Amino acid sequence: MRSTQAIAKALLAASLAAVALAACGSGESSSSSVGSGNASVLVSPGYQSSANESLAGKRGGTLTVLQEADFEHLDPGISYFALDYTVVFATQRPLYSNEPNSNQTVPDMASAPPEISADDKTITVHLREGVHFSPPVNREVTSEDVAYAIERGANPNVANPYLTTYFNSLEGIKQADGGPIKGIETPNKHEIVFHLTEPKGFYVAEALCLPLTAPVPREYAEKFDKNKPTNYADYEVATGPYMLKNDAQGKVLGIGYVPGKSATLVRNPNWNPKTDFRPAYLNEIDIKIGGAQAVIDRQVLEGTDVVQNEPVVQSAVKLAAEHYRSQLEISPGAGNRYVSLNNKVGPFTNINLRKAVFAALDRAALDRERGGDLVSNVATHFIYPTIPGFEQAGGLKGPKLDYDEHPDGDVALAEKYMKLAGYPSGKYTGTETLQVVGASSPPEKEDAEVVNQALKNLGFKTKLTLVEISTMYAKYCDVPKEEIDVCPTVGWIADFADPETVLNDTFNGKSIVSTGNVNYGQFDDPKINEAMAAGELVQGKEARAKAWGKIDDEIIEQAAAIPYDWEKSPRLEGKGVHGVGMLWNEGAWDYSFTSLK
Amino acid sequence: MIRYIIRRLLWGVLLLIVVAALMFLFFRILPTGNPALLRAGRDPQPKLVKEIEVVLGLNKSLPVQFWDYMKEVFLHFKFGYSYYSQEEVRSLIAERLPATLSLTLGAAVLWIVGGLGVGVISALRRHTLADRFAMGGALLAISAPEFWLGLVLLFLFASDIGKLKILPGAGSYVGLTSDPWKWFTSLIMPWIVLASGAAAVFARLMRSSLSEAMKEDHIRTARAKGLPERSVVRQGVRSAINPIVTLFGLEAGALLGGAILVEYVFDIPGIGELNYKAIQQSDFPVTQGTVLLASMFIILANILVDVAYAYLDPRVRYS
Repeated sequence: MRSTQAIAKALLAASLAAVALAACGSGESSSSSVGSGNASVLVSPGYQSSANESLAGKRGGTLTVLQEADFEHLDPGISYFALDYTVVFATQRPLYSNEPNSNQTVPDMASAPPEISADDKTITVHLREGVHFSPPVNREVTSEDVAYAIERGANPNVANPYLTTYFNSLEGIKQADGGPIKGIETPNKHEIVFHLTEPKGFYVAEALCLPLTAPVPREYAEKFDKNKPTNYADYEVATGPYMLKNDAQGKVLGIGYVPGKSATLVRNPNWNPKTDFRPAYLNEIDIKIGGAQAVIDRQVLEGTDVVQNEPVVQSAVKLAAEHYRSQLEISPGAGNRYVSLNNKVGPFTNINLRKAVFAALDRAALDRERGGDLVSNVATHFIYPTIPGFEQAGGLKGPKLDYDEHPDGDVALAEKYMKLAGYPSGKYTGTETLQVVGASSPPEKEDAEVVNQALKNLGFKTKLTLVEISTMYAKYCDVPKEEIDVCPTVGWIADFADPETVLNDTFNGKSIVSTGNVNYGQFDDPKINEAMAAGELVQGKEARAKAWGKIDDEIIEQAAAIPYDWEKSPRLEGKGVHGVGMLWNEGAWDYSFTSLK
Repeated sequence: MIRYIIRRLLWGVLLLIVVAALMFLFFRILPTGNPALLRAGRDPQPKLVKEIEVVLGLNKSLPVQFWDYMKEVFLHFKFGYSYYSQEEVRSLIAERLPATLSLTLGAAVLWIVGGLGVGVISALRRHTLADRFAMGGALLAISAPEFWLGLVLLFLFASDIGKLKILPGAGSYVGLTSDPWKWFTSLIMPWIVLASGAAAVFARLMRSSLSEAMKEDHIRTARAKGLPERSVVRQGVRSAINPIVTLFGLEAGALLGGAILVEYVFDIPGIGELNYKAIQQSDFPVTQGTVLLASMFIILANILVDVAYAYLDPRVRYS
């Protein structure tokens, strides 16, 4: 870890002339801030980054992709994870999409930016003409197909995971069960209109970049959507430059996708490059699923036309940084990581105790556990780089609060807050044992241990439980009735580049639910809830960045949780690959822009 | 003997029912999380979770779920559908079974031939250089974790990432019918890794067991009668083999356990890898199916061992 920092610092000195240096926490940083749209991006100087990768490439060839994990869902109506998106965004065309090196959306299935009415309650989208579904459907895409794609999201057999989160203000959405939705109108073949019950047009329009809006042909998919659960993914058709290999009947399962084994993307014969901003250089993408990451890392570093499409383990990052630097790309903006403290029950209902832990925690140590400056930055607030509102919330330095200004931890300051909390000795003297639940895999395990030790140093008695990460969320940190005091390794990543998607679910008191609760600390501050309600209605990127940046600072002022890491995502490519990572999707390789040298 | 075999088989079925029941309960009681929550994404809304529970059948009472599950497993040999890929677990298993059988049977042959061979040589040449070398190697093989040994072999010999590029590396497995030579070469390293630990145990046990057997009176008598040394050794091996056969039954479980890691390291699409991923994803139907299948193999292996034991040692009688 230290050596990685040293490399990064040496590189920093060499690249000072090219980029503006941003201060970071306790001292110098190996991250530099460059603009991307209206949000800052922290790149690691001297390394390739998805933020500044050239999009030019050479046409042809087959790319081999090695990935340890399997896809979860390739159905555009269900898909919700970075790895799934690599295939979904190469095969499907939502109304809007991101260019790989930007967090700004561009029209994709749409022909122009959305038209939002003056009252912010109606969104009109015009569709491109001449976009066709892949075989066996073949016909031209119409607005009806986009309407059906969204409607099926409400079908319990499809059960889209974010429909009610982002499209809740769509008229008729509460009654929707897979049939027509009152608030979706298709006046003609190439126009779709969304009617909202609240003035949230700007925000809903931003969510139109999610894969749920990728067209699905009703007459073809309906029979699959009747199955419990839907098996449309086994037969899905494409609108993008690539399609999952299929047979004449459209069957993908066992041909273009073999669960746990492979996926094969081939060119969509009905794709018309004139209708798309994607260059689609590659002829074919062969994805091999399975194997050990330690082996995959080496296979990619030693290989030619091959990439690894998962975040790389620390040892491989170090190896690549030292010996294969041209094959390492580091993407900023891969989410935040923070310590969740229970604001509802237990000792951390006392704000000064929260501030004491905030002050005491060695966040720089946590950052080092994750690989140091090269692959992360010490966080000082929640809106992370690449998301609008980051600079407005204080940028790298954060909102300038004493307990937030010492990434290495400040014991004296912590004692001051302990005394303010009513513990004159500067140590906690309560008798209860704090329940601390973390993940058992590295680096989360080490993070949890650092946090646990910091709590002990302040006099807390703790019981540290380490479990598999999905269990940590589903059984403990997501379940308020478990009354977990501290979840040391929770994190969040935005669904699209809007600060509301970072803060609203995770810190709005109204979002607290009995299961699947992502407001982990059950933070419920009426003043901040009100500010968020107002923020939901703000229009315009700049205005939203300002409003939500302020909310971010207010959450830090309440020490609702302790942010410690803004993550970056390292990826590896073979010697013969010009990989282009998706800045907006944790740096995952974009198959529509990646090419062979 | 036939009555004994039938009785053991019936006990085996009963044991499978108990294993199935325990697995069902463990996966629902132990802290793994609600699969509907896992399926519902990062911000799971309660309504959505309930809908998914209905689709996955998780809204039914536990006894109803249990009865449905047992009925399907034991009457129709069906293990349900994967929560993630929605594929039938039976077909997922059937698709991967050949790879696991290729790996485990090949490794079993290697471990029996290698382990017993080395053990016999060591026993007959005690305290020689060959014996010390063999036992030192065995100690190393017992101590080396399969995951580590697999990586070392790959980094040394794999054609893509090895220093000496002489054998196909991870992800090179193909089915026996599609390319027999490639199938064979792709499994050489996995066989060695999977067999090494058990072969080493067998070698050490065979050495000590045979050394003792060769000191027995009937061996001395055989030699005194002028029997050729080969026949004498054969007699010795036969009387030394019983503890080895017993150990084989125990090692069958370890073999399947080891296959999970070896399949993972060498990217062999078998049952072990399927199980590993299913555990990571809390994909209960797949986990239950693979564990039940493994239990069935272990029970069968132990029945075979007991039958072999009776065959090899006439003193053993079963009523």
